This record gives sequence, C-alpha cells and structure tokens, in this order.
Amino acid sequence: MGDLTTGFQRTLSAATIVAVLALGACATPPEDTEALEAYREANDPIEPFNRWIFSLNQHLDKLILRPVTLIYRFIPETPRQGVTNFLRNLDSPVILANDIFQGKFRRAGTTAGRFITNSTVGIGGIFDIATNFGLERHSEDFGQTLGYWGVSSGPYLVLPLIGPAPPRDALGRVVDYFLDPISYIADNSERWEWIPPTRVALKAIDFRSRNFDQIDEIERTSIDLYATVRSAYRQSRSDDIRDGAPGPLIPVPQISSDYSDEETAAVDTE
Amino acid sequence: MVRRSLAGLIAIGAFLWWSLPPVAHADTNKANVFIETLGSEVIGMLSDPVLSEEDRVAEFRRLLVNGFDLRTIGRFVLGRHWRRATPAERGEFEQLFEDYIVASYAARLGRYQGETLTVGATRDDGNGDKLVGTEIVPREGPAARVEWRVRTIAGNYKIIDVVVEGVSMVITQRSEFASVIQRSGGQVAGLLTELRKRTERR
Repeated sequence: MGDLTTGFQRTLSAATIVAVLALGACATPPEDTEALEAYREANDPIEPFNRWIFSLNQHLDKLILRPVTLIYRFIPETPRQGVTNFLRNLDSPVILANDIFQGKFRRAGTTAGRFITNSTVGIGGIFDIATNFGLERHSEDFGQTLGYWGVSSGPYLVLPLIGPAPPRDALGRVVDYFLDPISYIADNSERWEWIPPTRVALKAIDFRSRNFDQIDEIERTSIDLYATVRSAYRQSRSDDIRDGAPGPLIPVPQISSDYSDEETAAVDTE
Repeated sequence: MVRRSLAGLIAIGAFLWWSLPPVAHADTNKANVFIETLGSEVIGMLSDPVLSEEDRVAEFRRLLVNGFDLRTIGRFVLGRHWRRATPAERGEFEQLFEDYIVASYAARLGRYQGETLTVGATRDDGNGDKLVGTEIVPREGPAARVEWRVRTIAGNYKIIDVVVEGVSMVITQRSEFASVIQRSGGQVAGLLTELRKRTERR
C-alpha cells in the first residue's frame, strides 16, 4: 500500500501545481450577452492554460508517440489486434466494478463473462472469443459512473500526457486506479513494478495506432484543433454515459427558403 | 347472420388497416431509402476503379451539394456570427465552407477499403427532422455508429447533420468556428482567412 499512496500523493501534488498555474491563466468572461452564452457553453475558464498544455501534448505526440507508433505499425495487423484485446481484457475488472456501481447488472454479467472467457479460452485475453459468443465489449469508468448519477463534468481541463480530463473525469481516473487489481499486484512486489508504466505506454501506442489516420486527418484539416477536441470530447463522454442511447438534440434552425430574408432566417430557432 | 357481418366487419377493418399506408411510417422509410441510395452512390463513386482522382473529387462535390443542405448547415455552424457578417462575408463564407468540406475529404477519397453502410432504425426528432441510424462496417474490426439527420427542404430530403458515435459534425464545427472567430477579435474575416488558406487550390 505504501507505493500506492505515494503514487496518489504525487498525483495530488501534480493537481495542486496544475490548479496554481491555472489560476494565473484565467480567461476574462466577455461582457455582451451572446458572447457570454458562448463562453458558458465552452465552460473553459482556464482556456489559455489548457491550450498551453494541449500544445505541449501535441509536441509530445509529434516527438515521441507518433514516431514510436509508426514503428509499431510494422507489426502485422493480427498480433496488433492481440495487443488491443489483451489490454482491453485487463480493463475488465474496472469496467465490471463500474457496471455494478451504475446498477447495470446485465452489462456487469457481460463484462464478467467476457473476462472469464477471454482470460481462459482466449489465452490471457489475446483473443476476443467472447465477442463471437455475443458478449460484446463496452467501456465504463468511474467518470462515467459519476456522470450516470448526475455529476456534471465541471470546467474543461487538459492535463499533461493525459489530455482532456475535466474534474469529474480526472477524479474518475484516480478512483479507477484504486479499483484496479493490477495497481495492488504491482504494489506488493518490486518484481512487478514495471507493469503499470508499461501498460500505460502500450495503451497510448495501441490507441494512437488504432486511430492513426483519423488523428492525422483531423490535425491536418482542423482550423482550431483545440476547440474541435474540446467539443468532441464533451459529446463523446455524454454518449459514453448514455451507453450510446439517443441523446437530446440541439435544434438546427429552419432556414427560410427565401434567400433575401436573411434577418429572420438566422434567428428562426424553435 | 349477425356473426357473419361481424366477421365481415373485421375482415374489412383488417383490409383497411393493411391497405391504408400509415403516413408517418412510410415517411420514415423514405428517409431510410434516401440515405441508403446516397450511401450506395458514394460507395459506387469510391470503389470505381476508372475514375481519376480529379473526377472523384468532382463527383464527391456533386453528391455533397445534392445530398446535404449546405446553406442550413453553414448558417448553423456560423451561429450568432451569421447576423453580424456583411452580405459579402456571407457569400464568401458559403462558397468557402463548401470548398473546405470538399478539401477536408478529398485526401480520404482515394483510400476506400471496402466499408459498407447498413441502414437501421429511423427516429423522429419531434420537429420534423428524421434521424436515420446506420452503421459503417469495415471489412474487419468494429462498426462505427453513424446517425444522419435528414430534413425535408422544398420537397427533397437533405442531410443537415452527421452524428458519428454521438459526436455531431455541425455542433463540433460550430464550436470550432466560434473559437476561431473569437480568437480573431470577434471578426468573421478571421475565419474566412483561415478557410481560404485551407481551400486554396494548389
């Protein structure tokens, strides 16, 4: 438990530094009402600081993660899929716990079934046999659990190395760390100390690899990548919390077919 | 005798039930068919080995302009800044916005890998828009959940949003454009400059 708490303390002090830096980088709220509304929608009071960390993360990607992933992609598709499956199987205990915390026992059953099947028949999780049995994978984490019980994400926050992590999701990550049996296995013996960092690194490479072209594409075509990621992150998290069920729709105003009628056309929202 | 006429009534009722088209339902199906047709047109364009790259981009632009209501999308995406923009800026924005979408997708058009489109259930948003649920299924790996927001405009179905795994393209783009405008001192001209940079023909 000693190292675990030290690790946690380190996270806490990092959070303090982040908070202090953040205070110095506060954006000033705009004065006119419409701009203020947009400001609230973005919910990003420390945007200058967040942008700074975001660009730091972008540089780290360009300098380290992307090149490493390029090399990793020389490995054929099948073993890479094995790595993906293996890493996902390791996530199962945390997913299971969060399924239960949300009272979704059917989904908990699916997660447990997947973990048992893939850990045994799937040789330690390398093969995702469970999907063939109709046990399809889903994600859960403590950030989603909090969201499910009505906790809102809080102001937008970007953390070094981690990326978007508003307070709810950042706290969720800390809780998930304590929920994860692997944190304890590694903590009990120096022999297994290498496991958590290796896993984190592999997860990053696996994620970058699976989304390689898409990420490059978004970076190439975006005018303001930071704003794109901020909006997409929020929407994607809400979708995760709803387990992909249809969400509330933002009304897209009806544009008058009379092209000259510009004034009324633009404000004609339901 | 009474029994027979009762049976007759039921038969007539059943006949009417089956033969009368349930209007809303038929409508929904048509939105499905619209997406399905457009999807197969796009796949046809992507997988046509004879098309040159230039023709492919031109065909993509044609399908985009016909299938999407870019005017509705463009104004939604520009949001409150639309009203502040001068007529010249509005005109330029509409042209640049179309070019920007084409330019964003042009590089991807040559990389079709046999994905297929499976059209699923359609729902109504309560304001007349239809949401056609689909899955884009790659040859291998998990399918992507894509919803198409379809509106009837001047008697034709037009797409006004694409929602991929819960992420709406128009909401994301609106947020991005608002940020660009805000960072250039609230001037739409700043966004136009950025769009021009990305759409300049090489």
